[in-house]
Amino acid sequence: MTTTAPTTTGVPRARSRRRVKPTLALGLVLLVPFVLAALAPRLLAPYSPTDFDYSAILQAPSAKHPFGTDNFGRDVLSRVIHGTRVDMQIAVFTTLFPFVFGSLLGALTGFVGRWADAVVGRVADLVVVFPFLVLVIAIVAVLGPGLTNMYIAVSAVGWVAYWRLVRGEVVAHKQTEYAQAARVLGFSPTRVLLRHILPNAITPAIVYLMTDMSLGILLGASLGYLGLGAQPPTPEWGVMVADGKNFMVTAWWISGFPGLALTLAGVTFSLIGDGLADALRPRS
Amino acid sequence: MNRFVRMTLAVGATLALTQALAVTRGGTLVYGRYADSLFLDPVLNDANLDIWILTNLYDTLLQPSSNGKGVQPGLATNYTVSSDGRSLKLTLRPGIKFADGSAITAQDVKWSLDRARKPDNGDWSGSLASIDSITASGGTVTLALKRPDPTLPAALATFNAAIMPQKLFEAAPGKNDAEKAKAFAEKPIGSGPFVLSDWKRGSSMTLKRNPYYWKKGADGKALPYLDAIRFEIIPDDNTRILKLQSGEIQGAEFIPLARVNELKANPKLNMQLFPSTKVNNILMNNRPKLNNGSANPLSDVRVRQALNYATNKDALIQIVTYGTGKPMKSYMSSTTPLYDTTQKGYPYDLAKAKQLLAAAGFANGFEVSCLATSGSADDLALLTALQQMWGAVGVRLKIEQLDAASKTARYRANDFQMRTAAWTNDINDPSQITTYYAIYDNVESVHTGFKNAELEKIFAQSQQETSRVKRAAQYRQIQSIYMNAAPIVFLYETPYPVALQKNVKGFVQIPLGNNIFTETYLDK
Amino acid sequence: MRATYVLKRLLQIIPTFIAVMVIVFLLVRLLPGDPASAILGDRATPEIIERTKRELGLDRPIPVQFLLFAERLLHGDLGESSSLKVPVLRLVAERLPVTLFLTVYAAVLGVILAVPLAVLAAVRRNTWVDSLIRGIFQVGLSLPVFYVALQFLTLLGAKLAWFPIGGYGEGLGGHLYHLFLPALTLGFNLAAILLRTLRSAILEVLTAEYVEFARSKGLKSAVVMSRHVLRNAMISTVTLLGLNVGALIGGAVITESVFAIPGVGRLMIDAIFGRDYPVIQGLTLVFAVLVSLVFLVTDLVHARLDPRVEHA
Repeated sequence: MTTTAPTTTGVPRARSRRRVKPTLALGLVLLVPFVLAALAPRLLAPYSPTDFDYSAILQAPSAKHPFGTDNFGRDVLSRVIHGTRVDMQIAVFTTLFPFVFGSLLGALTGFVGRWADAVVGRVADLVVVFPFLVLVIAIVAVLGPGLTNMYIAVSAVGWVAYWRLVRGEVVAHKQTEYAQAARVLGFSPTRVLLRHILPNAITPAIVYLMTDMSLGILLGASLGYLGLGAQPPTPEWGVMVADGKNFMVTAWWISGFPGLALTLAGVTFSLIGDGLADALRPRS
Repeated sequence: MNRFVRMTLAVGATLALTQALAVTRGGTLVYGRYADSLFLDPVLNDANLDIWILTNLYDTLLQPSSNGKGVQPGLATNYTVSSDGRSLKLTLRPGIKFADGSAITAQDVKWSLDRARKPDNGDWSGSLASIDSITASGGTVTLALKRPDPTLPAALATFNAAIMPQKLFEAAPGKNDAEKAKAFAEKPIGSGPFVLSDWKRGSSMTLKRNPYYWKKGADGKALPYLDAIRFEIIPDDNTRILKLQSGEIQGAEFIPLARVNELKANPKLNMQLFPSTKVNNILMNNRPKLNNGSANPLSDVRVRQALNYATNKDALIQIVTYGTGKPMKSYMSSTTPLYDTTQKGYPYDLAKAKQLLAAAGFANGFEVSCLATSGSADDLALLTALQQMWGAVGVRLKIEQLDAASKTARYRANDFQMRTAAWTNDINDPSQITTYYAIYDNVESVHTGFKNAELEKIFAQSQQETSRVKRAAQYRQIQSIYMNAAPIVFLYETPYPVALQKNVKGFVQIPLGNNIFTETYLDK
Repeated sequence: MRATYVLKRLLQIIPTFIAVMVIVFLLVRLLPGDPASAILGDRATPEIIERTKRELGLDRPIPVQFLLFAERLLHGDLGESSSLKVPVLRLVAERLPVTLFLTVYAAVLGVILAVPLAVLAAVRRNTWVDSLIRGIFQVGLSLPVFYVALQFLTLLGAKLAWFPIGGYGEGLGGHLYHLFLPALTLGFNLAAILLRTLRSAILEVLTAEYVEFARSKGLKSAVVMSRHVLRNAMISTVTLLGLNVGALIGGAVITESVFAIPGVGRLMIDAIFGRDYPVIQGLTLVFAVLVSLVFLVTDLVHARLDPRVEHA
């Protein structure tokens, strides 16, 4: 069984002028604080993300603790800042392998077709009909919880989306005039694939990558809700939101601020994704 | 024949005379539980989810008293033990009936106890192991014993010794006892104050009033007061509390301790902290080597004591239990019979901890790993706090979160260095927890590997000691030996947090955890 | 032609199912712990665990266990839950309708939310209306499901008391009423995904030649919108719905927990944590069948809406 991939157009793209769009620009600007916080959390955070302060438990936001403190008296702002590195890592590591592997495989099977395509198609079906959470929980349970094993679990499943996207594009591009022309000109198949087809076919995958990054962070949060996410005392936004759920009424800031960080990161990735889509889309 | 020595029971002293005459009858109580029961057979069972409500469906010959210290009459009006302790005779209450109106006979009692003590049946047959044979005649049941057994009255007040209707059980479809139990437990007819009327698994369970229940209420008429109880299964703590606050349910169990103070301040609610037998501790692997072959610093008693001294229990009680707990001063809870009130526990003493560690050759500390249950906010809070506390004496704590089944698997294979643990008694006697925590031959002292010949000798004696005073002295020794050896990190005792609407009266969760709805009523 | 296509597709699915069954069968047995330990808890002695394993048939070699399992499966028997001690089929029959109801409800709410707003956003593209619509859904999409669920519960359930807090209700009206908030939680997420794609699909169609042509013929924009634009936009909606229903059913896990809904999602989580092999296996199969069916239906609907799609 093969499912329809959300292909965009099969029309060849003239590579557009690389002018940065406002969406993309805004996205990139928003990304700056995340990058800074991820690179140098110690410089930005006023306190240690892990040290307790029994004298300052569950304090509301104040000048001393702008984001308040949690049930251990830890400074929420510092934890959010230190969490940035962890969450950016999650965003990258949950998507890196699926993107690279899925896209290459999609290009290859889309280009070669025949049995290779059929075999990978069956495997992809298998992954898709398998309940994702079962797989993730099973992998995390076998290998032990923690971020690394979460990456493995997500990678085992995540490549399918990229495979499908890129494969669909490659199949469409294979028929196009310039690909045919390149072949007629005597370029090797590898060259046709890598130089002519892939650069055009990869666009939707790149756009999807941005969405996938925030989905990856959200998955970390869901696993946190089930207790299978990042391990303490690692500050991670999703787990912070999950841990704060008992305090939503009495101390909203414990889950509110990491939730805000999650949202901002999601918006940022999405703006970049939309911007990239615009920038890479052909002018009509 | 034996001369029977009459043992008097505190007859119905707990009958709520203080509740005056103003009880209201009727109505349905909706009670939010965090998870559903699994299997409603009293014998083939080991889940608190079942045990803690089973006594509403099945009555026992004796019942645990609500303070947790003794027993009170149940289906039997009294019991007598022979002077040599080799025989126990029970007098059945006249006119008792099952929920379908059929009479409860001495034969039903004999059959039920025989089923419960059959070694192949379930996890609990051991509690009745001292019984040699049972004879039933008319209104009396006599248990001939292999040896004197001071724990037997408490065992007869425990859920697995529930009285079931032999005829109905045997008429259930199935080839063997296990299959019949499955069929019978779908819609059990028991002897308790309520009877199952509807069960939507994972969603709700409705218990209806058993019109044939024997116990009388404050108004002189038969209990229970309620027409029905409906348990609703609401796994998420927040949702359970929101439903209670909005009045959709009248009671909610397992309120997170973090929210107790908030609910206490709510004038519409009655936030109850029922005294429990729950002790929270950390089990340590006492063996010289770990499963992976590496040396285990925890095999040195000084190291184990040091960790106990380095644990600031008062701070933990504030951080993890939000002030609701109290420090553990013995391996058993202070609500357990024969708990030794002179035990001191381990006070917080960093200097002593450092000194002990230095003496053991760990002046610079060491790394230790602890298994925690993933998703447990309490485990997380506890271990994050211990990471800090033990860090002060150089001990670096690594937290390893596992889902409960994986954690249990590692524990059973003795493949752990430390793990979080909690215990509640199922029987009103210290022998149960002692068998598990301190006796090697059962489950290797809850898999710590702790073994102490002297302790085991005293325990064996205490199991046949009918004098309560002598038994108390033996238990004092047992508790002291255990405390010194420190096979575990002693943490704190916690209560059962239950929040109720203000109009819910007469509900009690006894220290064993059983939810007792017999005398519960909804005030107008 | 269509019938043979469906048949061919169904035949293609079978090897996938067999593979799914083999994998899940082995996977559950790879998990640390086993049903006996999970049922019995921490206290059980080794002897009791051995006995329980024997009763559950787990003492036999794995190939034998698999053959027994396969044989029963061929007779339409999914086995008996090790923790609840009732047939898995009965559990599925009790719980699956709940999850399906929730999923369909969520999909309907998602479409109802997404389609008009996407049209609005596309027509008013790059205005504040467009930004606002996209912004709200982006925020919703970037928050963890349980957080959104709890916010809905606290605000619409507890504070305003417009909806009951959790539960499933009785009768169709009761289900619709009780499941509104959870369906909204899931539907909101779905709408956010739909909205993005739909908006750009509409934009693409709006600028396409045949729409320009229709406009130039003097057709009213409402007619153009409904006849040409929406029809084309629906193609991508159906595709996305199909792709996401699997995720929806899977994503119901957390929503069901928060809203105390007795569906298969929660059953699955309980089964995984309780190492209830028969339930995990049975639900995985049911899940695979469902998702495959949804894909098949999606393809068929897709083919109907878009004549360019050929049957492979």
